[in-house]
Amino acid sequence: MRKKDKFINIGIYISYGIIILTFLFPLIWIISLSLKDLQNLFAVPPKIIPDTFAFENYNRVFRQSDLGGYLINSVKIVFFSIVGTLIISVPAAFNFSRLRFKFKKGMLFGVLIFQMMSPLIIAIPLFRYFNALGIQDRHWSVILIYIAIEIPFQTWLLKSFFDSIPQSIDEAAEIDGCTRLQTLTKVILPLSAPGLASSIIFAGIHGWSQFIIPFVLLDNPDLYPISVGILNYQSTVETISTHLLAAASIISIIPAVILFIAMQRFIIGALTAGAVKG
Amino acid sequence: MLLSRKLKKYAFFMPMVIWLLVFLLYPTLDLIRLSFKDIGFVTEGSTGYTFDNFTQLFSHSDFYTILRVTIIFVFFSVLLQMSLGFILARIMVAGEERGLLGTVLVRTSVLIGWVIPGVVVGIIWNLFLTESSTGILNYWLNTWGIGRVPFLSDPTWALISVTVANVWRGTAASMIMQYAGLKVLPNEIHEAAIIDGASFIQETLYVTIPAMKPVLYTNLVLITIKTVNTFDSIISLTGGGPGRSTEVLALSSYLRVFRQFDLGSGASIAVILFTVNLLMTLVYSRLIDFDEEKGRTV
Repeated sequence: MRKKDKFINIGIYISYGIIILTFLFPLIWIISLSLKDLQNLFAVPPKIIPDTFAFENYNRVFRQSDLGGYLINSVKIVFFSIVGTLIISVPAAFNFSRLRFKFKKGMLFGVLIFQMMSPLIIAIPLFRYFNALGIQDRHWSVILIYIAIEIPFQTWLLKSFFDSIPQSIDEAAEIDGCTRLQTLTKVILPLSAPGLASSIIFAGIHGWSQFIIPFVLLDNPDLYPISVGILNYQSTVETISTHLLAAASIISIIPAVILFIAMQRFIIGALTAGAVKG
Repeated sequence: MLLSRKLKKYAFFMPMVIWLLVFLLYPTLDLIRLSFKDIGFVTEGSTGYTFDNFTQLFSHSDFYTILRVTIIFVFFSVLLQMSLGFILARIMVAGEERGLLGTVLVRTSVLIGWVIPGVVVGIIWNLFLTESSTGILNYWLNTWGIGRVPFLSDPTWALISVTVANVWRGTAASMIMQYAGLKVLPNEIHEAAIIDGASFIQETLYVTIPAMKPVLYTNLVLITIKTVNTFDSIISLTGGGPGRSTEVLALSSYLRVFRQFDLGSGASIAVILFTVNLLMTLVYSRLIDFDEEKGRTV
């Protein structure tokens, strides 16, 4: 039995190795490409660890493209969308968690439809309105839509966090003279800090990935977030600058990947709750 | 007095309701309206309504190519993500039960693809699979005697590549959901099966999978919706090509509207996409518990 156990353990470790390699290899390869100079780029056989590390590729990408500007735009858009999404979703989720009313199920279903719906569906009409109103090419108008797209998911997610806080706590706060808003902001929100953290990370990752909305509503390349900017960059790059495209790709994912690795424990719980569209 | 207190309570819904009505519901209904009109980007051609957009769409063979591509892409993405997710979750749970190290590292490696923006996923896989001399996979296949594979230039291979890239990105969600599902299964059911002399495979097929049914259904519906809506990673990986071989429904709508400026047919495809989303949401809503539940679990 002991010997069998040992075999199984080794088997699991080997599987771990295979899984990690399979999933990380495309990324490792891109990192490798991003550190190659021209000579190494076309070297035969291709090396995973290049002879010399061409860190200057990263400098060149920043100098020769607007990647830095795209990153700043992304940070700005994502930051304000997170703030806006929370301001709107938190009270709504609190109500869904605490109130019982006739159309609750219908309303929750309505919210769910919008959570599942592709943003592509609203992109086409929005393009027309924004042009008609002359408010395309503005960050704030894009932020309004990022918020709209994120609200449904966040409302469901936050509701599940609030559901786990007993109602007796609200009642105690109300007896102490808190208004409903004070109960929410001074009592419930501090108690749901881990939940809020995962909300923020999800909103951050979703916002960072958002593509179609800024693609449709922004014309001026100076305003592009990273997702649209890098597609733009890809279209200008030739095979001969593969290493630069690789460096740009790594730069574009670093903020999201770091945020994710640092805060992983907050997301896993929410993901396992099945509250996630994937 | 009582009424105003009640109103105040519901006021918490107001910002959400306004946002959803103005920015999501109205444009969605307007899209449906537009799909029955002869429209340009800024103007609405004639004033009347017409089925032309749909009849033209359905009468063209391209549409059936797109449907076929979409069905293949979605079917294999979902099948592979769910089965891989199950295998990975099973291995991780086994590793954890045995107190082995490295589970977090495995989980992190799988989840990284899920954090990366779709457009960048496409670029990464494009650089990885490229048939130019910088592509490593083709170099290896060549040295192993298999020969170069036209991953991105052959229609069948391109569809396989797009699906694999999507599986790489999406498996994490299935893995995590099924991992959570496995964790809450009572240990006794495994033990009982093993005492009865079931092999590992029998136990998996006849005990674990049936016990996981609710989780698997939820997982299935969620990732099907997600996959049907996926197109950003395909833009930068193949652009829908070669030909229309990787042009899925969502990508087709995007290409028609924003590349070919054919608003009518793009809008009608978007309406079809919306219908699919709506039907899948209906199915999903049957699987989850809407009301009064505390701490929703899978």
